[in-house]
Amino acid sequence: MADFEPKIVAFVCNWCTYAGADLTGTSRIKYATNVRIIRFPCTGRIDYMLLLKAFDEGADGIIVSGCHPNDCHYTSGNFHARRRWIMFRELCDFVGIDINRVLFSWVSAAEGSKWADVVNTTVTRIRELGPYTEYQKVAKHPIREVTNG
Amino acid sequence: MDELRKRAKELLESKTISVVIGYEEGTCNRTRALFVEKPEEASKLIFDSRCVLNLATYITKQEVKAKGKMAIAATIPVMRSIIQLAYEFQVSDKNLLVLGITPESNLMEFKDLLEVETYIHKFEIEINASYREKLDKLAGMTQTERWKFWIDELSPCFKCYACRAACPMCYCHRCTVDFNQPQWIPVPSHELGNLEWHIMRAVHLMGRCIDCDGCANACPLGIPINLLNKRLLEDAKRHFGGYQPVLKGDHLMSTFKPDDKENFIR
Amino acid sequence: MSKIGVFVCHCGENISATVDCAKVAETAAGYDGVVYSIDYKYMCSDPGQSLIKSAIIEKGLTGVVVASCSPRMHEPTFRKACAEAGLNPYMCEMANLREHCSWVHEKGDATTEKAIDLVRILVEKVKKNHSLNAIKVPVTKTALVIGGGIAGIQASLDIANSGHKVILIERDPSIGGHMSQLSETFPTLDCSQCILTPRMVEVAQHENITLYTYAELESLEGFVGNFKAKIRRKSKSLDEKICTGCGQCTTKCPVKKIPSEFNEGLGKRTAIYVPFPQAVPNKPVIDRVNCTYYIKGKCKVCEIVCPTKAIRFDQEDTIVEAEVGAIVVATGFTVKQPDFFPEYGFGKYPDVITGLQFERLASASGPTLGEIRRPSDGKVPEKIVFIACAGSRDPAKGIPYCSKICCMYIAKHAMLYQHKVHGGKSYVFYMDIRAGGKMYEEFVRRAIEDDGVNYIRGRVSRIYEKNGKLIVKGADTLLGAMPVDIDADMVVLATAGIANEGSEELAQKLHTSYDSYHFFSEAHPKLKPVETNTAGIFLAGACQSPKDIPESVAMASGAAVKVACLFSQDELTREPLIAVVNRQAAPVFSSCVGCFLCVSACPYQAIEKEEIKNRTGEVIKTIAKVNPGLCQGCGTCVAFCRTKSIDIQGYTHEEMYSEVMALLNEY
Repeated sequence: MADFEPKIVAFVCNWCTYAGADLTGTSRIKYATNVRIIRFPCTGRIDYMLLLKAFDEGADGIIVSGCHPNDCHYTSGNFHARRRWIMFRELCDFVGIDINRVLFSWVSAAEGSKWADVVNTTVTRIRELGPYTEYQKVAKHPIREVTNG
Repeated sequence: MDELRKRAKELLESKTISVVIGYEEGTCNRTRALFVEKPEEASKLIFDSRCVLNLATYITKQEVKAKGKMAIAATIPVMRSIIQLAYEFQVSDKNLLVLGITPESNLMEFKDLLEVETYIHKFEIEINASYREKLDKLAGMTQTERWKFWIDELSPCFKCYACRAACPMCYCHRCTVDFNQPQWIPVPSHELGNLEWHIMRAVHLMGRCIDCDGCANACPLGIPINLLNKRLLEDAKRHFGGYQPVLKGDHLMSTFKPDDKENFIR
Repeated sequence: MSKIGVFVCHCGENISATVDCAKVAETAAGYDGVVYSIDYKYMCSDPGQSLIKSAIIEKGLTGVVVASCSPRMHEPTFRKACAEAGLNPYMCEMANLREHCSWVHEKGDATTEKAIDLVRILVEKVKKNHSLNAIKVPVTKTALVIGGGIAGIQASLDIANSGHKVILIERDPSIGGHMSQLSETFPTLDCSQCILTPRMVEVAQHENITLYTYAELESLEGFVGNFKAKIRRKSKSLDEKICTGCGQCTTKCPVKKIPSEFNEGLGKRTAIYVPFPQAVPNKPVIDRVNCTYYIKGKCKVCEIVCPTKAIRFDQEDTIVEAEVGAIVVATGFTVKQPDFFPEYGFGKYPDVITGLQFERLASASGPTLGEIRRPSDGKVPEKIVFIACAGSRDPAKGIPYCSKICCMYIAKHAMLYQHKVHGGKSYVFYMDIRAGGKMYEEFVRRAIEDDGVNYIRGRVSRIYEKNGKLIVKGADTLLGAMPVDIDADMVVLATAGIANEGSEELAQKLHTSYDSYHFFSEAHPKLKPVETNTAGIFLAGACQSPKDIPESVAMASGAAVKVACLFSQDELTREPLIAVVNRQAAPVFSSCVGCFLCVSACPYQAIEKEEIKNRTGEVIKTIAKVNPGLCQGCGTCVAFCRTKSIDIQGYTHEEMYSEVMALLNEY
C-alpha cells in the first residue's frame, strides 16, 4: 500500500476551474501528479453517470469543480449542478458509495493556488482512504470481464 | 363500488368515454387492470384494498391512448401520478377523465385536472412507519455496511425491468438503460450494472416519484428498490422543502434557488 | 477508420523540461487509430503549423491532437491551421501539457505518464468527434430601442446614423426622460434642455428612426437577429396626423389641477396635455383617468376648440408588430419618494423634497420659473439643507448600494441655490463625498470653497416641524459626533436611485435577467457591460444601475456599436457548440418524449416545442427543439435529459464517455 498512487479524475468547467488550473500552471504552483482533468463547458453539463463510470473504470477519487455561485459563464449552470449534486450525493451515500472520495469545489479563474490545494487535499485524502477496492471488486465482475472482452 | 360501475356504464353508453381503466378480479386472490370498452362489461369493475396497482401507468401507453378518451379509476397515488404526467405533457383534460376514489372508497368524479390537483394537495406524501424504520436502520449503518446491503439486495436482480414497467413515470420510449452509444449501463445483470441501473432510475425519479410503491410491488424478487425513492423524497424535503405534483410551476430538479444550501462544496 | 495525428510540442523548454516529449509522441504512435505522431520544438510557430498541415494532407488525417499549451491559449490557432489544410476545425483537439502538467509538476516518470494520459484522453475524444459547421443566422437590420431618455436617444441616433433602421418606443407622451427635467448639469452648469432638445428634435426628424411615444413593449418572441416585438401604442385620443400642436385644447381644458409628472408634482397640468413646452412630439394626449369626458361622459371642450378636429375620444390602443434584429433597453431609473423615509416625516412636510423636485424648482422652465421658492408658501428659503444618501448605502433600508450621482448633484444644487439666493445659507449632510470623474472633485471644491456651502459629515436622524421651521437634527462626525440642529426652511433629500417601475416585468418579457434590486443585469460586470445574457439584447443608461449623463451616453454609444456590429453582416456566424435534440426515422422521430422538464433547466429559454406532423397536418408527436440562435452551449439540459435525447455538439455523450474510458483503462 505504501506505493499506492491514487487515480483521480477531475471534471471541471471550461470557464472557471479549467482556467483556474491554467493559472496554477502560469503561476508555476506545484501539485500532485495524480489528477487528470476532463474539460466540460459547464458544471451543468457534468452527467452524474460519468462519475459512476469513473469509479467503474478504477478511479479512486473524483474532483468536480466549477464556477462559484453567481459567477457561472452561463448564469445558472452551476446552480442547477449544485442542486443535482446535493441530491445525487445523498443517493450515493444511501447506496453505500464512499462520498468522501468525491470532492466538490468552486474554483474561479483567479484561484490558481486554490486549485493546487484542492488537488493536493484530494490526493492526501484518497491516500488515507486507500484504493477504492470495495467498488472496483464489484466492477471487475467476471461476467463483465467477458463481455468487455 | 356500484357507483363506479354505474358511472362507467353511463360514460361508455353516452360515448363520452371510449375506455374506462379500472380493476377486476384476477387470479390467486389478486386484482388486475381492466380496460372496459363495452358498457355491459362495466359490471366487472371492482375496487377494494387489494387494488394497489398504479393504473396511471396505462394512460401514457399508445395502444390505450389510441382508443380515444379515457376514464380512470384513480386512488390518491394514481391521481398524483396523473398530475405529474399532465405536468410533463403526457395527458390532459382532452383525453382523460378522472374518476377519483377517496380514501373512504367513495367515488369522486372530477371536472378537470385542476380539481384533481386541488384535491390531492390536501394529502401530504408521507412515508409510512415500517419504511421509516427501514430507512433509519440503513442510515444508522456504516457506509461499508450499506454498500454490502445494497450489493446483496441487488445481486439477484436479473433486470427484468418489471419495476420500470410498473412505474407510471417510466413512460420514455427509449430508456437510457437501452442506450448503447455509449453503453451507460452494462447489459449483463451483475451487481454493478444492477446498481447503476437502480441509481439511474432513482435519479430520473427525483422530484417525480410520488411514492406509490409500484416498483417494489412489481419486483418478482422483492428487492426494496422503493427505499431509494423514499430516501430521495426525504432528501428533497430536507433540502428543498419537498414537492407535490403540480400542473404548473417549478420542477424540483430543473429549477434552483440561488441560496440552495449545501455543506460539502469547498 | 480514424487516422489521428498527434503533435507534441516542447514549447521551447516549457514542456520538455519536465516531460519526456519524445516518449509521449512514441507512446501515442502505438494507440489504435494514430497514424502519425511527432514531437517538435514550437508547434505554434509557422514551421510547426506547416508540420500539422502537411501531415493532414499527406497522411489524410481525420483528426488532430495537439499536445501543447492550454486550449484557452491556442485552440483557435490550431483549429485554423487544420481548416487551412482542409480538415474540419472541430476535428482538432488540444491536450494541455503545459499549464496542466509540465508547469505544475517536477520532472519525472509520473509527469510524463500524466502527459501520456492527457494525450490519450484527447485521442479517444477526437475519434468520436464530428465535423461541425459554424451556424448561420439571418439578421433583421432594424433595432428596437426601449426608452426615450438620453440613453435611448443617443443609442437611437448612433444606430440610425450608422445606416440602420431604429424603432424607438417611449412610455410617456414625450421623449427626453429625466434629463429633460434637469435644470443645469454638473460639472459645467450648462443648461440641460439646451443640450438635450436638439437631440430630441433630431430623433423625431431622422429618416431612419420611427418614434412611438406613449407606447410600451407588449411582448417579445424570437432570438438574436430575429426578434418579433409587439408594441402597444396607447391611445392618445388624438389623430396625430391632423393635430398641428397649436395648443388650443390644452389652454381651454377645464381640468387644470392635475399634478404634473414632469414637474414632479410641483406644478399642475390639464387633462389634455403636453408634458412640457419642448416636448417631442409636441402634440397632446388625453389623460383618460382625469378627463371629465371619460369620467362623466360629457365636456368635449377640447374637441370643440380644436381647429383641425383632431380629437378622437373613441380611439383604441393599437398593437404594432415589428421584426427587429437587436434591442437596446434604456428604460432608466426613478428615485425613492420622501414617503419612504419615516425619519424625515413620511413625506408629510411639503418642504421636504427630492433632488428631482429641486431640479424643477431651479429650472427656468419649472413651476417657479427658476426661482428657488419652497412648495408650501412660495417663500424663498433662507436656510436650506441637503441630505445625501437618503436611502442609499443603507442596508437596513434594502438599498446597500451607492446611487452614484447624488454627491455631484447635491453640490450642483447647493451651488445653484447660492447663486440664486444671495445671502442664503446651505448645508449638506454627507457620508462621504464621491466625486470620481473628470472635473468632478474640482466642482465639489468650488461649491465648498467659492460658494460657501457648508458640508457637514454626518447623518440626519430626524426632521420635524417647529414654528414654521424644519428642524434638522444631525451630527457632525468630524467634530466628535457633535449634535447639529439646523432650523431650515427647506430640505432636499438625495433619495436613492432605484429601478424603474415595471423593470422586472419588462426583463421577464425580454427573457433577460435582473439583479436583486431589479436593475437589468449585464452579461459580465467588467467585459460585457452593455450586453445582457440574451444575445442581441443590450443595455444603455441607468436601467442597469444609477449613472450620470456622460456615462449613460457612453454606454448608449457602446450599445449602439454592439448593434451596428451585429448588423454589419447579413448572417450571424456562431460557434456550433450548441445542444441538439436527436431525430430518428419514423415512427419514433426522436427519443425525446416531450416532457419539457428541460425547458426550465435552460438558462436561455432556448428550448421550444416542435410539432411533428403527418402529411395531413395532424400532430403526431411533440418534442423539444433547441433554438440555435439562443442556445449558448452550457449543456445543462444535456445532463438533465433522462432519455439522453439532447446532446451538445463538441461535448457529446460519446465524446465525454470516451474520455473517461480512455483515462482509466490501461493500454
